[in-house]
Amino acid sequence: MLAVSPLRSTRDEEQGEMESFSIGTDDFADLSEGNLLESINFDDLFMGINDDEDVLPDLEMDPEMLAEFSLSEESEIVSSVSVVNNKSDDRNENNIVTTEKQDEVIAANFCSDSGSNSGSSRGEEIASKSEESIHSVVVNPSPKESEKGRKSSTHSRNNPQGKRKVKKVDWTPELHRRFVQAVEQLGVDKAVPSRILEIMGIDCLTRHNIASHLQKYRSHRKHLLAREAEAARLSQRKQFMGAASVGRGGGGSKRDVNPWLAPTMGFPHMTPMHHFRPFHVWGHHTMDQSFMHMWPKHLPYSPSPPAWPPRTAPSPPPPDPLYWHQHQRAPNAPTPGTPCFPPPLTSTRFGSQTVPGIPPHHTMFQIVDPGIGIPATQPPPRPLLDFHPSKESIDAAISDVLSKPWLPLPLGLKGPALDGVMGELQRQGIPKIPPSCA
Amino acid sequence: MEDSSSAAYIRLVHRLIEECILFNMNKEECMEALSKHANIKPVITSTVWKELEKENKEFFEAYSRSRAEKASVSERETRQRIENMVLDSSNERV
Repeated sequence: MLAVSPLRSTRDEEQGEMESFSIGTDDFADLSEGNLLESINFDDLFMGINDDEDVLPDLEMDPEMLAEFSLSEESEIVSSVSVVNNKSDDRNENNIVTTEKQDEVIAANFCSDSGSNSGSSRGEEIASKSEESIHSVVVNPSPKESEKGRKSSTHSRNNPQGKRKVKKVDWTPELHRRFVQAVEQLGVDKAVPSRILEIMGIDCLTRHNIASHLQKYRSHRKHLLAREAEAARLSQRKQFMGAASVGRGGGGSKRDVNPWLAPTMGFPHMTPMHHFRPFHVWGHHTMDQSFMHMWPKHLPYSPSPPAWPPRTAPSPPPPDPLYWHQHQRAPNAPTPGTPCFPPPLTSTRFGSQTVPGIPPHHTMFQIVDPGIGIPATQPPPRPLLDFHPSKESIDAAISDVLSKPWLPLPLGLKGPALDGVMGELQRQGIPKIPPSCA
Repeated sequence: MEDSSSAAYIRLVHRLIEECILFNMNKEECMEALSKHANIKPVITSTVWKELEKENKEFFEAYSRSRAEKASVSERETRQRIENMVLDSSNERV
């Protein structure tokens, strides 16, 4: 929930929202061109933000206003939107994805002065996408995210008319991430703009840029916790207001945190890995090795998909596969997809029994009987390198199976048709009950 | 009663076959192993194996391909080893 607090003094949120609302309208009234964002003098909105001053205005934008900012801000909106969209685990993946997406989109704009021009074209390009995500985002704004994102985005837009004699900096997610990295490296309280600049090592940034960005960053960090409670309340309200603004805020700050979290999200789900010790037997050959490589990469992502569908209503499914698709780029996931997603995520044991359509090398990694749970013991170690396994190990494995019928199937192959087996055996003249002689 | 025990038995054989597959056995080897170690009639093993193959066609296709590949690799290696041994012994003679 972002409500622009347009004026020169800090207001409390409610007031800010309302005022921003009206002010936003006023601003827009003057705008005839499509580049609304460009026309708006954000310096007015952020009057409080000067190098000399420590007080930052309440950075909250009205969602409706932001909805109209479907231009250069969009990239950030999209990222922040996606960020905001996420509630928990999703957030992280989303951030990564959107960040990636944005990085692609924004790449050209990095440190460019012509931010507005390129921004608007950018904005138009991704207008539809961002609007979509913006709409979905309204639901669960992470106010800190929103604000941070907004901060960065607005910061980049600052000074369209030379209020500050500083080159306009486009605080892209990438740029912001590096900024945060540098700050954290130094320690938030100790972070000095000149040092930050050194660490970031980016030519286009001046100490001035960094200083103001730092100020905003610090201010928002203070507000983060306080705003969290507000977020829930405001998000409901925003639902009616329609999209946008939340996204903007979300993009900036959380973005850099979440991507780091995202990769770790899968780890808790990795624990069932020991389930699959039998697969070590495949470890030796190239084909098997590739399986093993692929497989662990599946796990981190596979638990997440089930979490995605139960998203809040406003989050539209369409962006998700896109995010996941992009997300999957990294691990080179093989073809099959989860039941939830069109894109290529393997359908793993988490949701389903063996799926016939899945290529064989995937079935190898499925455990069919989730109900049985994690076996207390592991199958005896197999001769990994032995093409001709020893009798002892075979015997051990078999007796293990015989003694522990509750163990899940190591391969999880789809069971034989009982009728077929029975019929065939009867043809062979064998009643089914375990025969006494071999 | 019979049905459930039959079903349980088939499940057991199924599980054993999977274990054998983990040992990279083919159907015949599996039949022999199960007969020797678990007292399961080869015909039963064979039947269950065939049914599994029907239900998991792709898996078994890939499995047999992988077995063939491994066999060829192992065969190549063995041949190489034999050649090396022959070379070594001939060198020694000289």
